Amino acid sequence: MLTAPSWIEHRTELRTYADSVSPWRPAEIRRAVADTRHLLRFRGGTVRKPKVVRTAVAVLVAITLAAVVGPLLASGAGDADGMAFNVLLLMPTMMVGFLGLAVASAIASGGGRELLSGESAVAYPVSPTTDHLGALLMAPLNIAWMLQAWFLLGAASYGRGTTDLGWLLAIVVLWIVAATTLAQVIGWCAEAVRRRPHGVATVRLTGVALAGLMAWLQLSDRLFDVLDAVPTLQLLMAGLSGFSVRWCLAALALLAITAVSLLLGGWAAHVAARRMPRDELKAESTAHEARPNPRGVLAMLVRIDRASVWRAVPMRRGMLVLAIGPGLVAFAGALEWSNVVILPGLVVSGGVLLFGVNIWSLDGRGGLWRESLPVDAITVFRARSWVLAEWLLLASLITVGLASLRAGVPTAGEMAAIVCTVLVVTAQVVAVSMSWSIRRPFAVNLRSARATPAPPTVMIGYSAKLALSTTLTAMVFSTAATVAAPWWLIVLLASPFLAWSALRWRRAAKVWSDPVARAGVVTTVAS
Amino acid sequence: MSMPTPAVLVDDLHVRFGEVEAVVGVSFAALPGRATALLGRNGAGKSTTMRVLAGVVPPTSGRVVVAGIDVAHDTLGVKRAVGYCPDVGGLVPRATPWEHLQLAANLRRMTGWEARGRDLLEKFELGDVTHRVTSGFSHGMGRRLSVILAAFHEPDVLLLDEPFDGVDPIGVEATFEIVADARARGAAVLLSTHLRELAIETCSTALVLRGGARVADMDSIDLQGEEGAHAYRALLD
Repeated sequence: MLTAPSWIEHRTELRTYADSVSPWRPAEIRRAVADTRHLLRFRGGTVRKPKVVRTAVAVLVAITLAAVVGPLLASGAGDADGMAFNVLLLMPTMMVGFLGLAVASAIASGGGRELLSGESAVAYPVSPTTDHLGALLMAPLNIAWMLQAWFLLGAASYGRGTTDLGWLLAIVVLWIVAATTLAQVIGWCAEAVRRRPHGVATVRLTGVALAGLMAWLQLSDRLFDVLDAVPTLQLLMAGLSGFSVRWCLAALALLAITAVSLLLGGWAAHVAARRMPRDELKAESTAHEARPNPRGVLAMLVRIDRASVWRAVPMRRGMLVLAIGPGLVAFAGALEWSNVVILPGLVVSGGVLLFGVNIWSLDGRGGLWRESLPVDAITVFRARSWVLAEWLLLASLITVGLASLRAGVPTAGEMAAIVCTVLVVTAQVVAVSMSWSIRRPFAVNLRSARATPAPPTVMIGYSAKLALSTTLTAMVFSTAATVAAPWWLIVLLASPFLAWSALRWRRAAKVWSDPVARAGVVTTVAS
Repeated sequence: MSMPTPAVLVDDLHVRFGEVEAVVGVSFAALPGRATALLGRNGAGKSTTMRVLAGVVPPTSGRVVVAGIDVAHDTLGVKRAVGYCPDVGGLVPRATPWEHLQLAANLRRMTGWEARGRDLLEKFELGDVTHRVTSGFSHGMGRRLSVILAAFHEPDVLLLDEPFDGVDPIGVEATFEIVADARARGAAVLLSTHLRELAIETCSTALVLRGGARVADMDSIDLQGEEGAHAYRALLD
């Protein structure tokens, strides 16, 4: 016999659940854009010193304007021959270089930096599309990206001069945007492949194959032919032609690349998000066989700190990109020793940004337990500094080693210059990062390849200061090598740099030995 | 009969972080062979007090003596005397449990510690993950390893900050054993928890903190049952 449904059954009938929605529906895409805005606002709200950020933005805008206007004031700007013409000849290659660097950065950072860290975002419905858009917005917050963009704008200004400059600049800006979005697609695709079975090996083999291809092109003198045929040459020609059909087609093509890349990047981000991050999982599930007890306290501390660095995915990946990348470029370009001397400064300043600027965060929440162990604070400080220094030295040595393959036999002065540069910039960077790590600690989880040791705005400040100081220092030794200064003079030149770094390191150590300062650092990174 | 010398003596402890005063004039004593529970709401000052006793955070003012050593004068001596399980994590993410034990043993100059280390790992059911990095651990596994590390060197003062948080029944029982062993060998145990029933089961005395200050010092048996629950609730508000 049929009976009337109970009130519970009525309620059950009334309840409806939302269906899964395709991320490609316009409403979902609009939602992802709106979510990105929410995340941006949230990140903006967490900034400790908004005034500093406003100043930083104003400085960046001023530098960008200076990069455009400054070269126009230089002599020979816009000349049909001479230096300006040579700069224009180099521009297509520079544009390809920009794309290459953006791709390397996106691949190394597992699809790009996070607008909100995975750990913090886990409780919120942040879609891979939002993650993709956030990573795109974060891509320019990187000193290497900025420097390259400024160089491109400056080269366009100098090469073209004031005549019809706007049309060329527009093409350059569109290229910067298109290359960044395209790099993001490649970054997500590489991450999606990396997360497949044998994906890590596939990505590494592809990298080796590409490096091999570059080496072959260079050694067989075909590299220039390839560079002459790159499509960026057509873009440059379109930019130089002023407002014309050619310009319109180039601009349309770049806008189309950007639009398609935006969508493809979202698709690739969804594919990657459905797969497990194998690199991180492998690092966490690998058994590390017990080793014999080390001889002393310092050796034990160094062992633990080394484990914190070398077992972290972002550090291992960063080492590959930072050390091998510039080395291969130097190898391909057959740089002379006076130019090779510049490289350690770039490698070291990039390397320290992977963890060194917030070095106590390596302990994460274990910092509290470590701080409760009976060991002299200075010994802990020494161990941490040593591990950072050896990591940076190794990165520099790999770069210099690769560069040396085609740089010929160095003179005594060149040898002194390269050795002194490596030592001086390493000491400089270790001293400054130990000091910053105490002054501004941050609680970060360096588990993911996408993690950074400090918030993006802080990272820009750090990277700009480091790049400037190490490059200027390296230029001192490069100049000394160029003017064939005797080796002993170069060694003498290094002494005040080393003494200053030692002084700065000792000052940081003194602050670390203060229990109040140390407690502040430890409780912050462990929070 | 004279009272035994307290293993922990806290007199008018104040801890300030900038504008915030986390601990406001806390005083208490913990005796050897006794387990004392530190109870209170979030932000009551329990973890900060534990951190001071562990030598991790220096006191702003007041006198804190741990195992006969003044924290303000000899932090290293205090660190040698205590075993500390912090409230948050407490593990180095990319080091294995064995490497944690190796570090602790090395810094405390322990010899022949391997067998005890293995026993403790087995007792807390972490034997299978001895050589895996701790970043892949579940929350409960991390808490269990933190308790092991605190008790490993058989300290005079055992400080356990939220040791039961997210721990399964086997881990809880193993922690009970650790506390009982410590008391049996004459160590003072200070245990902070939100779980009143577990505090009663483990500890003989209880201190209740509120807003950074001590509001009660009682036998934990007084917190038992419904009446005890009401009394405890009243102390929290």
